[in-house]
Amino acid sequence: MSKLIRWRYPARWTFFRMDDRLLLMIIGAIVGVCSGLAALALYWSLETLLEFFHHYRHYWWAFVLPAVGAALSSLFLNKIMNEGAGHGVPEVIYSVSRYGGLLRARSSFSRLISSCLTIGFGGSAGPEAPVVMSGSAIGSNIARFFSLNDRQRITLVGCGAAGAISSIFNAPIAGLVFTVEVILGEWTALNIVPVAIASVAGCEVSQLIRGNHVAFAHQQFDIGIMDIFACIALAGFTAAASILLTRALRSMHTVSSKVKIPLWARAAVGGCAVGAIGIFLPDSMGEGYHAIQSMVENGYTPGLKIAAFYVLAKILTTSLTLGWGGSGGVFAPCLVIGSFTGLAFHRAISFIWPGVAWVNEGCFALLGMAGLISGILQAPLTGIFLIVEISGGYAVILPLILVSAVSTTLCHYVEPASFYLKDLVEKGQLLRPGTDARVLSDLKINELLETDCIAVRPDMLLRDFIEILTRSSRNYFPVEDEKTGRFLGMIHLNDIRPYLFNQGMHDAVFLEQIMDTRIKRVHPNYNLNDVLQIMDTDGLFSMPVVSNKRFLGMISKATLLDQYRRELMVQTSHQ
Amino acid sequence: MEPQIFHIFRNTPLGRETLLQSVYFSQKIKASPLVYIPKFTKFLMYFDNDVVQIDLDESYLSSPATAEEHAVELLKQGEIEPVFFDPKNFTASTLPDVPTDFDFMCCPRSISDLSSKIGLGYIGPRVRRIVRSAHFPVLITSSVFKPWHSIGVFFGGSSNAVNALKLGFRMSRESGFPLDVFTQAERRKKEAYEEIIKKEGLEDDMKKYVRKWYIFDTGKFDENLYNVPHNALVIMGAFGHGLVKDIFFGSKMEKIQSVVPNNMLIVGPKYRALS
Repeated sequence: MSKLIRWRYPARWTFFRMDDRLLLMIIGAIVGVCSGLAALALYWSLETLLEFFHHYRHYWWAFVLPAVGAALSSLFLNKIMNEGAGHGVPEVIYSVSRYGGLLRARSSFSRLISSCLTIGFGGSAGPEAPVVMSGSAIGSNIARFFSLNDRQRITLVGCGAAGAISSIFNAPIAGLVFTVEVILGEWTALNIVPVAIASVAGCEVSQLIRGNHVAFAHQQFDIGIMDIFACIALAGFTAAASILLTRALRSMHTVSSKVKIPLWARAAVGGCAVGAIGIFLPDSMGEGYHAIQSMVENGYTPGLKIAAFYVLAKILTTSLTLGWGGSGGVFAPCLVIGSFTGLAFHRAISFIWPGVAWVNEGCFALLGMAGLISGILQAPLTGIFLIVEISGGYAVILPLILVSAVSTTLCHYVEPASFYLKDLVEKGQLLRPGTDARVLSDLKINELLETDCIAVRPDMLLRDFIEILTRSSRNYFPVEDEKTGRFLGMIHLNDIRPYLFNQGMHDAVFLEQIMDTRIKRVHPNYNLNDVLQIMDTDGLFSMPVVSNKRFLGMISKATLLDQYRRELMVQTSHQ
Repeated sequence: MEPQIFHIFRNTPLGRETLLQSVYFSQKIKASPLVYIPKFTKFLMYFDNDVVQIDLDESYLSSPATAEEHAVELLKQGEIEPVFFDPKNFTASTLPDVPTDFDFMCCPRSISDLSSKIGLGYIGPRVRRIVRSAHFPVLITSSVFKPWHSIGVFFGGSSNAVNALKLGFRMSRESGFPLDVFTQAERRKKEAYEEIIKKEGLEDDMKKYVRKWYIFDTGKFDENLYNVPHNALVIMGAFGHGLVKDIFFGSKMEKIQSVVPNNMLIVGPKYRALS
């Protein structure tokens, strides 16, 4: 039995206790395989549903299909799984930055099913964020099962995300880069290796089952100097589309939350609108990979105006789907919007400068995708490597880098935080390791309490107090009621200075006459950010901590700085 | 520093009784209650190695206009400064995070089910999960407020039981109430239990705080439970040990909670005992 129990706690084995890298690599591979399988499960389910509903799309009533899907998805998430809504990826980032990557077990499958319903019925969303959520939750719960610590758990959450992305795109480097750039937010030797292995494991699972399928392979791109200049201009358009999509999603969410109807009905309203748009612009529905395929292969026939119109239509349908309560991510819609942007841009410059030998429009569709992904996620490397891998080569690497870098930079000027991080940054909940907010959030008032203060009584004479003063090294003295122990006020050394050299006052002044009863005090539940803000506003260096009318101790900037330094060293020591 | 007890307030007569238990508990051990009046039916508790989603029964959201007023009234009645928990962190917009660094938590036998389900023999799945993951003991209250005047610890010799015993000493010391220890001898003699006490260095505390140590050599366990004083706070360890410790609540624990209607302070496997 004891041997069996030991299997539950591999981190305690002597072999792994010295260096846990090998342990993380082994478990990381398992997580990668599991998340890869989860991604494939969603892929197949989506294929099946889309295939099934394809035959019904031409009926007049087909516009209600996305509404039914979104409503079912909302009901499933909120009534059956009891999950709070959300796109998934911000929840993973939040958990990584604040709670050591702890995620609920139900999240490992709930988003897969809900997003399958939303997208399969025609809603405009992507399956990537749900598989990232699912893979991360699988990693988190495997880490929980083996009782791994926070750092190890975070690495396995990253492994799950990497395995899922690499499996769904058959792109192991993109999986690794996305995880490190977006999910973990830090490049350390300790997390890169297990995440890379998980990414490879996820990709291998995908190749084993689906075959080594490169989405847009065998494309020939002959890129000239004019194309390079055009790429810079394209980056401007992709940045604009990214910002427009980010804002449309947020404003749709704000508008929908003001509509006082049940969540499922709200999702249905959004779905209905998507269905109505889809009657006229069918490529704006669903995940949209078929449209991308034809654009990259230079087979997309509609003209410039239609392509440009699709950019706006896809932004609108995605906002309606996700902003009104459907389930899914923005990754695939970004690719679709990006490829339409690239296509429209190519047709526009070909129209304006017909004499220039531009590279084919498939190349611009790929570059548009990279620009959109880099812009909205503000993760240029993810955009670059994803396109490199799904196009099967480095033929477009130079313009890819240009478009991604310029698009990210432009977006950063207008929207300082990426789509995934915006809410977290606004609420002050993005706590990357080693940052000020993270260090402060990990410290508690209880850990900083200075309890060596000498309490005095309100009816004490100044003479008696001066005697106490000679024995103490502190400047603050809490005044407490002798009978009830209630905190009444504070005596600071400065309060008695006027009477100190006046012997006559020593037997005439009682402490209750000179104590400060209006001193600012804090409760142990306050967070340190608030405490520091009070100290800064009022120019204080220390404050009493009072709970249930009892003095618990003092908190001072000096102790805080000391602990802050220690905590910072702990958080950055493994890097 | 004074201990803190976390309480989720339900603005119903049952919730009033539960808060009265928390107030009484706080008075006896000089703890300060932190009261949470939920605005959503869901919240998350992030423990060291687990995240627990609590899906509250809808009755926790009833009459929000009077909830704070009622809670303040009950706390002030017990001469306790009302302190409320206002969640600052949210995993999703309707999913607040509740911290887990308390010393105690108070809840009825179930917080996710309708109160009509609450009765002897039933402890809800969420409460069990909290007990399993928390490093603090959970005060599971009787349906009607009842002051306790002694402390009874169930001691079966396991590491959890040792933690329960240590908590019993602490409670006895803080409250000044006498402590009784109950042991159902199972294929072991009294000496074996004394040896465990000795090994844990608890002999002096046993002499100092324990009024009587009941060791039942004969009779069925549930029959022997009649010896537990009706006005005792029962302290015991939940979840067993070994490979299945995370799964089963413990057979003795199940039996006690099915038979004894007293207030119970339950110690889980993650509890960090303070002597």
